[in-house]
Amino acid sequence: MKRDFAVLGALVSLLAFAAIAAPTFFSAANLRDILLANLAVLIVAMGMTLVIVLGQIDISIGAQFGVCSVLAGMLAKAGCPAWLLVILLLGAGAALGSLNGLLVAHLRLPSIVVTLAAMAVLRDSLRWATGGKWVQDLPQSFQWFGLSQRGGEWMLSLVTGAILAGCVYGARYLMAGRMIFATGSDAESARLAGIPTVRVVFWVFAFMGALTALAALLNAVRFPEVPGNAGAGLELKAIAAVVVGGTSITGGRGSLGGSVLGVALLAVIGPMLTFLGVNAYWEQAIQGAIILVAATTTMAARKRT
Amino acid sequence: MRTERILAIILLLELAIFAAIAPNFATVANTFEITRLAVELGLLALALTPIIIAGGIDLSVGSMMGLAAVIFGALWRDAHLPIFTAALMALATGMLGGSINAVLITRLRTPPLIVTLGTYSLFRGMAHGLTSGITSYSGFPATFLYLGQGYLFGFLPPQLLLFAAGAVAWFLLLHRTVYGRTFHAIGFSPEGARYAGIPVARRLGLLYVLAGMSASAAAIIYVAHLGQAKSDAGTGYELMAITAVVLGGTSIFGGRGTIPGTLLGLFAISVLQNGLRLAALPGELSGILTGGLLIATMSIDRYYATRSRATPATGSEETTVKNSQVAVLSAVIVASALLICGSNWYLARSLRGGQTLAASVTSPHAPVIGMMPKAKGDPYFVSCRLGAEEAAREHGDELIWDGPTDLDAAKQNEVVEGWISRGVDVIAVSVENRAAISTVLRKARARGIRVITWDADAEPEARDFFINQATPQGIGETLTDEAARLLGGRGDFAIVTASLSAANQNEWIGFIKQRLAQKYPELHLVAIRPSDGDRDRAFQETQTLLKVYPQVKLVMGVAAPAVPGIAEAVRQSERTDVKVIGLSLPNLCKPYVHSGVVQSVVLWNTRDLGYLAVTVADSLSRGTLKAGAASMEAGRLGRIQIEGTQVRLGAPFIFNKANIDQFDW
Repeated sequence: MKRDFAVLGALVSLLAFAAIAAPTFFSAANLRDILLANLAVLIVAMGMTLVIVLGQIDISIGAQFGVCSVLAGMLAKAGCPAWLLVILLLGAGAALGSLNGLLVAHLRLPSIVVTLAAMAVLRDSLRWATGGKWVQDLPQSFQWFGLSQRGGEWMLSLVTGAILAGCVYGARYLMAGRMIFATGSDAESARLAGIPTVRVVFWVFAFMGALTALAALLNAVRFPEVPGNAGAGLELKAIAAVVVGGTSITGGRGSLGGSVLGVALLAVIGPMLTFLGVNAYWEQAIQGAIILVAATTTMAARKRT
Repeated sequence: MRTERILAIILLLELAIFAAIAPNFATVANTFEITRLAVELGLLALALTPIIIAGGIDLSVGSMMGLAAVIFGALWRDAHLPIFTAALMALATGMLGGSINAVLITRLRTPPLIVTLGTYSLFRGMAHGLTSGITSYSGFPATFLYLGQGYLFGFLPPQLLLFAAGAVAWFLLLHRTVYGRTFHAIGFSPEGARYAGIPVARRLGLLYVLAGMSASAAAIIYVAHLGQAKSDAGTGYELMAITAVVLGGTSIFGGRGTIPGTLLGLFAISVLQNGLRLAALPGELSGILTGGLLIATMSIDRYYATRSRATPATGSEETTVKNSQVAVLSAVIVASALLICGSNWYLARSLRGGQTLAASVTSPHAPVIGMMPKAKGDPYFVSCRLGAEEAAREHGDELIWDGPTDLDAAKQNEVVEGWISRGVDVIAVSVENRAAISTVLRKARARGIRVITWDADAEPEARDFFINQATPQGIGETLTDEAARLLGGRGDFAIVTASLSAANQNEWIGFIKQRLAQKYPELHLVAIRPSDGDRDRAFQETQTLLKVYPQVKLVMGVAAPAVPGIAEAVRQSERTDVKVIGLSLPNLCKPYVHSGVVQSVVLWNTRDLGYLAVTVADSLSRGTLKAGAASMEAGRLGRIQIEGTQVRLGAPFIFNKANIDQFDW
């Protein structure tokens, strides 16, 4: 848990600075908007943490997100009822994820190569299929699942909160969660201890796919139409949040709480720089610097312990 | 060597297939064109190979290219340094950037993935910041541009020699020296390497410094190739380079990999892209096939690995490259080159007769028109394409629609090069970067290909006609006037643009600022925010804007996907006092125009623009349109006026609640 403190420290000092320099940053409306805009990242970061704890990586989630978003739009347009849409979409996401899982777990191919390939294939197939067109003219019941805007916002936040709580609980107290950590720290010992490591890897990738589909759905219902390029760069955001949150890229160590902090840190930097009146042209450089500082202080903290 | 053998077979297969189906693929000129385009990427891939072998990764090389290009351009143009000194300083910048990576990775023991993810943002951000995303350095002397665009002995691209020298140097270092073997040892086990007396930190540090330097060298060649230095140079190159390296059999876990493998991987990808382009197959296939290739080579490799595990003591073979194997590999390459040259000589002779005939008689075959948007997926260009296809059907032309997936000047050049090799009749380009594309368009004209530009112009003497839908000044002024009308001539407003380095948008914003200064002193532009062509980003930026600047009463979007994002943000904020206008497509904005969130959308008829561009291309190639004509017959658009070399589509149009339902595109 020590590692979380470094990220927490970075986040708190950033927020403290904002409290002095731009107090309006802390308006309820602003915090709510930042939260809603990052629900999707938060959800996929949970799955990504588990994937990285296993010593694997998944860079195809941005493309999966795009495919699932468009699929959600098309299903809704075809008049699919909400409950069926959720089931079909989660199934599709899990299927895409288990394709990765099959290649990584059973064929033992390196996950970065498999998911790099999956990314290229999915992105280009989607572009080919849609020709870049947006899914428009969705039924009224699509946006916010047909609820009012406030109601929809609450529902999205609660679903995400439930997922978060479930993941945190599961990783710590359920056998499946402990199996993931055991496999990640040493696959061979885990196997000898009777853990079905191949199946663990497979199911974590399938789970990652299902979470990505859920994130895509929750993001899509915030708008009345679905663009053809949804989820561009999502994988980098999620990976950055997870590693900044202190999860070891070599596997075995990591915490979901840390990833939540990582998402929070990255989520507030952008809007905060706008509040501080920083010229947009320098924003990316400052973001990079903050990631570097957070990462190196994490490492320094780890060294001391 | 196993992966290399599999790849060599795949490469030969690719060559055979494309030689059969793609026109002018198997020619000397095209062979060298493929290598020319692979040089920048290749330099990055070469430098990444030892890093990945040693168990590291460097995601910052593409961004370093952007930073080095910008620094090189600034030193040459603004600091008036000689070009050679500027290049040396750019290389030094690369080494400095690499040292930052090296220090953080080896001294502070931070994982390379995190460090280079950070510097990936840092370097690109600095490049954007230093140039405000706008400045593009061009006008380099011809002797420098020769490095990237010329031909030695009439056929050999000069940068190829540099690349070959680099490849040989890396090969010798990695596979023929004790020093190079240590990288493999480090990759297998850093701890073990340390106990064996290898200074692990120093060796690793050196690799990152060299990677930074290679990225700068790639940047300089890139600048010479495109004739311009801009902050977006090398965007996305890191991922392509890593793909080439892992395709070439380098293990991502370290310890295993070779330079020849990387070269094979690189060419397998470049040949695939070039071949698909010449065969006029959809460019999306290249991503799909590259992905398939990656999985296929890895799986075959894995299959043999598990089979040979039964016979022990073959593990050491994986990391060594025997001279005999290099000889066999070189022999394969030389043989395939000879094969291509031979078939080309034969083809060229048999074709030459046919082609001159085709050119003298006014095109007995249907004209082949290569038409390029700035970005294929952009809704704006998707609707242009509909009009273009309509016109092509009407005239019986063969239309090839290809271009970058995202805004990318280098990719545009690559596509045009491909079309020149293929031998299309007309090239029609929506230009992303004027200086960059004009060289290659001139080359196309010199080969007898008709060139027109549409949507955005190149340098005037690089094309026959420009289909002008509206001048940047016209757009800027119409948008400003519309904003002033809605705000009553006073108040604050904000702009959400595409990316900060988008050339068109920056030009429009320039005219908007000019119009404000001249005519509306009480109208203030308080902020410009990027959306990167992403609806969700535009949404979030607008939400933040409205809170930081509560006095803003109007938000203007100057990118098609941005306007719906802005409108949704304003609608959800329930700020009915904020107005939204912008440059977008009627279909994307229709719901918002009807609900009153978006007041007006400014745009020309994009479908007609595509239609007109293909019609002009068709008339040019059939010889019915000649230079100096004052007007032309353009099918359903009637008679169109021509001023000089500019074909006018008409003034920008303002869509609002009253008229938007008449348009469906």
